[in-house]
Amino acid sequence: MPIRFTTATLMLCFTLMTAHGETTGIVFETDIKPLLTAKCGKCHRESERKGGLDLSSMEAIQTGGETGDDLLAASLEDNALWHQIESGEMPPAGEPALSEQEQLLVQRWILAGTPSQTSIMKTRELNQHDVLPILLLRCNACHGPRLQQGGLDLRTHADMLRGGKSGPALIPGDPDNSLMIQRIESQACPPSESLLKFFVRRPSSAEVTTLRNWITARAPIGNVKPDVATTQADPLVSQSDREHWAFKPPRWPDAGNSLDDFVGRKLIEAGLPWSKPADRFTLIRRVHLDLLGLPPDLDDLKRWSTSTDRNWYSKMIDHVLSSPRYGERWGRYWLDLAGYADSEGGISADPLRPVAWKYRDYVIQAFNQDKPYDEFLLEQLAGDELVSQLQPSTVTSDTVDKLVATGFLRMGIDETGSRTMNFVPERLKVVADALSVVSSGLMGLTMECARCHSHKYDPIPQRDYYRLKAVFQGALDEHDWSSFKQRKLNVATKEHLKRIAETNPPLEKQQKALLAQQKRVETELRLNLLRHHHPDQSDADNQTTLKALKKADNTRTLPEKKLVERLQKAELVPDSKQPLSVLNGRFQSEQIRKKLHRLRQTMVPPRTIRALWDMGRPSPTYILRRGEHDKPGPLVGPGVPTVLTDGKTPFEVTPIKSAAQLGTHTTTGRRLAFARWLTHPNHPLTARVMVNRIFTRHFGAGLAADPGNFGRQTDPPSHPQLLDWLALKFIQSGWSIKAMHRLMMNSRTYQQSSQVTDQHQQIDAQNRLLARMPLQRLDAEALRDSLLFVSGRLCLTSGGVPDAVSVDRNGLVSVDPSSVDPSDSFKPNRPDHQSPDDEYSGNLDQRSVDSWWRRSVYLQYRRTEIATLMDTFDYPQMGPNCLDRSVSTVSPQALMLLNDKHVHSLSQSFANRIASIIESQNLENDHRTRVNLIYRSAFSRPANPEELELGTRTLNHLKIAWQGDESKALATYCHTIFNTAAFLYVD
Amino acid sequence: MGSTPFTSRRDFFARASDGLLGAALLQLLSDDLYADQPEPANTINPVSNYDLRPKPVHHPATATSVIQLFMNGGPSQMDLFDPKPALAKLDGKPYPGSVEEIGNTSVTDIGVMMGGQYPIKRHGESGMWMAETLPHTSRMVDDICLINSMWTDHPNHDNALYKIHSGRLFMGHPTLGAWTAYGLGSENQNLPAYVVLGDPLGLPKNGTRNWTSGFLPPVYQGTPFRPTGSPILNLRKQYEEPSAVSATASAMLKQLDQIHRAERPHQGALDARIESYGLAARMQLTANEALDLNRESSETQGLYGIGEPNTDSYGKRCLMARRLVERGVRFVQIFLEEQPWDSHVDLASNHKAICQRTDKPVAALLQDLKRTGLLDTTLVIWGGEFGRTPTSQRSGNIYTGRDHNMQAFSSWMAGGGIKGGLSYGKTDEFGHKAIENPVSVHDFHATILHMLGLHHQELFFHRSGLEERLTGVKIPTVIHDILA
Repeated sequence: MPIRFTTATLMLCFTLMTAHGETTGIVFETDIKPLLTAKCGKCHRESERKGGLDLSSMEAIQTGGETGDDLLAASLEDNALWHQIESGEMPPAGEPALSEQEQLLVQRWILAGTPSQTSIMKTRELNQHDVLPILLLRCNACHGPRLQQGGLDLRTHADMLRGGKSGPALIPGDPDNSLMIQRIESQACPPSESLLKFFVRRPSSAEVTTLRNWITARAPIGNVKPDVATTQADPLVSQSDREHWAFKPPRWPDAGNSLDDFVGRKLIEAGLPWSKPADRFTLIRRVHLDLLGLPPDLDDLKRWSTSTDRNWYSKMIDHVLSSPRYGERWGRYWLDLAGYADSEGGISADPLRPVAWKYRDYVIQAFNQDKPYDEFLLEQLAGDELVSQLQPSTVTSDTVDKLVATGFLRMGIDETGSRTMNFVPERLKVVADALSVVSSGLMGLTMECARCHSHKYDPIPQRDYYRLKAVFQGALDEHDWSSFKQRKLNVATKEHLKRIAETNPPLEKQQKALLAQQKRVETELRLNLLRHHHPDQSDADNQTTLKALKKADNTRTLPEKKLVERLQKAELVPDSKQPLSVLNGRFQSEQIRKKLHRLRQTMVPPRTIRALWDMGRPSPTYILRRGEHDKPGPLVGPGVPTVLTDGKTPFEVTPIKSAAQLGTHTTTGRRLAFARWLTHPNHPLTARVMVNRIFTRHFGAGLAADPGNFGRQTDPPSHPQLLDWLALKFIQSGWSIKAMHRLMMNSRTYQQSSQVTDQHQQIDAQNRLLARMPLQRLDAEALRDSLLFVSGRLCLTSGGVPDAVSVDRNGLVSVDPSSVDPSDSFKPNRPDHQSPDDEYSGNLDQRSVDSWWRRSVYLQYRRTEIATLMDTFDYPQMGPNCLDRSVSTVSPQALMLLNDKHVHSLSQSFANRIASIIESQNLENDHRTRVNLIYRSAFSRPANPEELELGTRTLNHLKIAWQGDESKALATYCHTIFNTAAFLYVD
Repeated sequence: MGSTPFTSRRDFFARASDGLLGAALLQLLSDDLYADQPEPANTINPVSNYDLRPKPVHHPATATSVIQLFMNGGPSQMDLFDPKPALAKLDGKPYPGSVEEIGNTSVTDIGVMMGGQYPIKRHGESGMWMAETLPHTSRMVDDICLINSMWTDHPNHDNALYKIHSGRLFMGHPTLGAWTAYGLGSENQNLPAYVVLGDPLGLPKNGTRNWTSGFLPPVYQGTPFRPTGSPILNLRKQYEEPSAVSATASAMLKQLDQIHRAERPHQGALDARIESYGLAARMQLTANEALDLNRESSETQGLYGIGEPNTDSYGKRCLMARRLVERGVRFVQIFLEEQPWDSHVDLASNHKAICQRTDKPVAALLQDLKRTGLLDTTLVIWGGEFGRTPTSQRSGNIYTGRDHNMQAFSSWMAGGGIKGGLSYGKTDEFGHKAIENPVSVHDFHATILHMLGLHHQELFFHRSGLEERLTGVKIPTVIHDILA
């Protein structure tokens, strides 16, 4: 019989003999190996090991693959090899399956105990990497980088032997007398009261056995080198895997020197003509909404529509690209990719991220300045490693920017700040989200599945996922975790600090006073509610109610619960039945809340930065079998997906002397090395993925259809040569995104009409060949911003503390409304083309805060409180990010635009604005003028005679219906314009 | 405007100028917005894959709709459904095993064993256990299948709620209702497919994320019907306007959109948008009618406890649920405010109070569905996100409640092809852990999908190169034993 210890002991001893008791005569070498070679050898041989598995020898089979499953188990139930065959999982579809006879043969071989000719007896000696992962998981919190309780550090073999105040942690060869074992087995460690404090769970009995066995074996260190890329060919990814178009660097096409060359060629092949050019008004509207997310104002519309310059179109693009509104539009796309949010998410409380907006401003500024894309990536991936000096006196805004940029890696949902949700699995989820943003967002690779197993479709072994994880281990270390309250760096320029000192102290005083006032008003409000609706309730009960509100609801006693419920019921009474004292109290409380918010926006922002930085002491990275945190596999080092390399080039990492204020003297340098690799001009994906993303926004669909997945599962690009050409042009331009806009938008392709002909419909309904432009719906931001802009109520102040939202009792989330009568809020809203470049917009003009709304990119995006208008028009859930927004067409959108109070009030503003333009410009005060102005403002074109006629007639009808009130008639007309398809869609 | 479409703007204005437009405009003054649109199935954009039109099932369904009575906070299984005499015997004594197995906060808060808080008896022909705090539901036990061996993966409300609704411990994944709407569409194009009836006292823990469509298109998310006033956000105008004004505006909108559309052939998205305005208009009528409880007899209202102080609120929502299901709504969820079952203190009185709010309406719903024949095709689900511990828990200096327990809890189902009168699964002698026929949340979901005619493996959505499923990667088990 084979002698076998349980795997838990990790003393793997196999004896495989020919002289098997009830031998069937089946042996590996003659019966099984040829079969496995024929049917499985294509992917599981020595030189190519899919899933890390080699089936060519008994030894290799015993080693197994990445799952760590037992392939030699003697029962069919436990035998993973049999499981794969029987379930039909393997060989995969498309490969010849095992015949019934072959299956039977394998089955009998397994049941016979997997006999082989040569008797091999192999014992794998335990080494330190069998125990280190256990110690990291169970002991590291008190005996690791952050704490050395009792003077004990358990991170290295030497540390263990050195021990702490009570002596060495272990005595090689003597587990019973080793302190480590004694403490663990008596449950003195980890201490009961620390389990939740440090988010630790007790070691399992299997883990304790491993510790014991290792000590018994005299605690060998072993000779395990981290699995990293070497100069040897990589057996997990084959040359044919590397042949996929997206994994090879882009090449200059043989012919073609403009976007139109490539598009035109395909059109000729398909027999489709170019569409006629769009008319000038359509182009003006298209370009403005595309680049700015706002329609042109009346002056710009006039300027460009009447220009006699032959090059008016390209001049317009240059002009529009120079507007600071551009970064607010295109930066927003990047914020989607990063998964930007102003709150942590994950738990009900959904705590706010008070200074996440600094990253938002960094992104907008980078787009406005056309920061080269390679630099943009370097800063976001490794800004901290680029900061070499950090003395308070020498902090420049550039330093601050680089640190703020690392916020990119801190955007995911993160509940590890919660009292009970900071265990290793939850931390790994946060790391996984960051990796997912990096891999799908920047590389167009879906690596998420490789967290648990090698990618099913793409050549991404599980090992590569963990190599990539190791790149980030210096900063995102699940065993050395900074929960979100500790992710602050206090770094600011001297000037900034000076402004804080000058401006904030009196404001802080005001803030304190307001907070106290708020508390008083709210207490009084509640008492008034109770006194009015429950006059019989005693004062003592009222006081108890107030006290109960401060408790968590599940710790209230039943009488307390009942009292609170009485208050809740009183609060729900409609306003019409509330006494004046309550309505007053609510009004006051609302005013205070707004004042507080305004105060916050007036203060100079704190020096706090939400950043990510390398701590210079990464814990070792292990492959986690099946992605499970307590099933460590082989040790890996930092590396990049091998399929994107030649497989023989080691990933070079140089540790970096870095800034002392970041809490370390040397960083691992891993992320910087990664960022440099990613932005190398030869990288097959970086430039392609980005130009494809830009292309997608301009043309409604990408050349590669899925912007986040360039893998083998997706359709090949519609114009592969064009994609390569654009990628290389991008790099050639110095990674200039604005250069790409010019290149794409100046093309004939972009200037086509969006009319769909019968021919289009027959030959290319999906418009993959680009014989026309698409009709596109405004996204949530562009819609809201356009409504505000056209109504003259858009405030163009940029940056800073996000604008608050309020949630009403029906769940309607609205952006805090203006408190000034909209009728006098008209202000010419011409986009300011001189970049204000205000570093912080703390000093919002009080009037503008009161009267208008800022652009949607500046709203507070708390995950649980997304403004209803945004949500209704498909503002996405960031989980962890959004690479492609979906467009839905549902009735709540109609209900929103038709019935919402705020949208309705904006239409009144729009009407007032039209009236005031007529007055200020001394225009003819008649319906035709009004209709024309409205068409120009909302649709960016004049009304034609028929439309003027229809508009005049409708305005007359409306005036009658409003019993002669012309202003209201005009407002209703404007409201209807807001609801038209022409407003919502761009040709 | 009649049914002849304008083929071009020129055509439209040609007719406008011969006076037709004026007449048409007047006629429209009395029309509802787009009320003369053809039936939705003919106009919905054929390009869009994501709509609510009925979809074919994977196999014959036993249930066509679901009413989920969600008991947020975690009702106590040993006090209500799964009596444990051993607890009474050990009442006041320490837990006999390792206290670290119990509870989810600190071990120092774990109290002593606590016996069942209410008398509990067998009921019906099946002899199902139910506490005396549920007198009405007790009478319906022969229609109920009680699962005592549910378990989940997390002892925190937030995560356990995500789990029970979306199969994952984290936010961002579609809920069972969203998956159902995605898989089956709706039978009523005038109402949302997935409706949520919230408590007037407030949102449940986790708020609107309990009915999110996650990464599925938003068309599948739950639509909360507001408990008071107009049921859907913005269903009625939130401002004053004479009806003649609204009518003129509607007519104008329709004209402008028709011109716009006529000039843009083959643009399905524009048809879909026009249809969405049509549905909005129809919904204004249908939703109000569906939720108008005055159309029910006083006998029916009385059955649900409407008008009685304790049961009025929950009773109304149960009756609304029946009316919605009757009209083809696919998935209805009823929530309570916050998490009333979460009884860390005063469990006996707290649980009793919620039973008093919900027991009679819940039983009435079953009875009413049964007598109208709807129970045959409506699956009713009752339960929370986890159960409670056999030990008491310290709160201040008192020990009167139980902590969260993820290792065992009870849920029940009725109707829609479930086996009535069955008590399924067993827990250990303390009700602390499921030990026989344990039912994971994935199994639970797979079974519900099965009844709806959906196969858990065939119902998936492509996302970032993965096939995402409600029931995750590991293949779940449909609990055939509980199906009739």
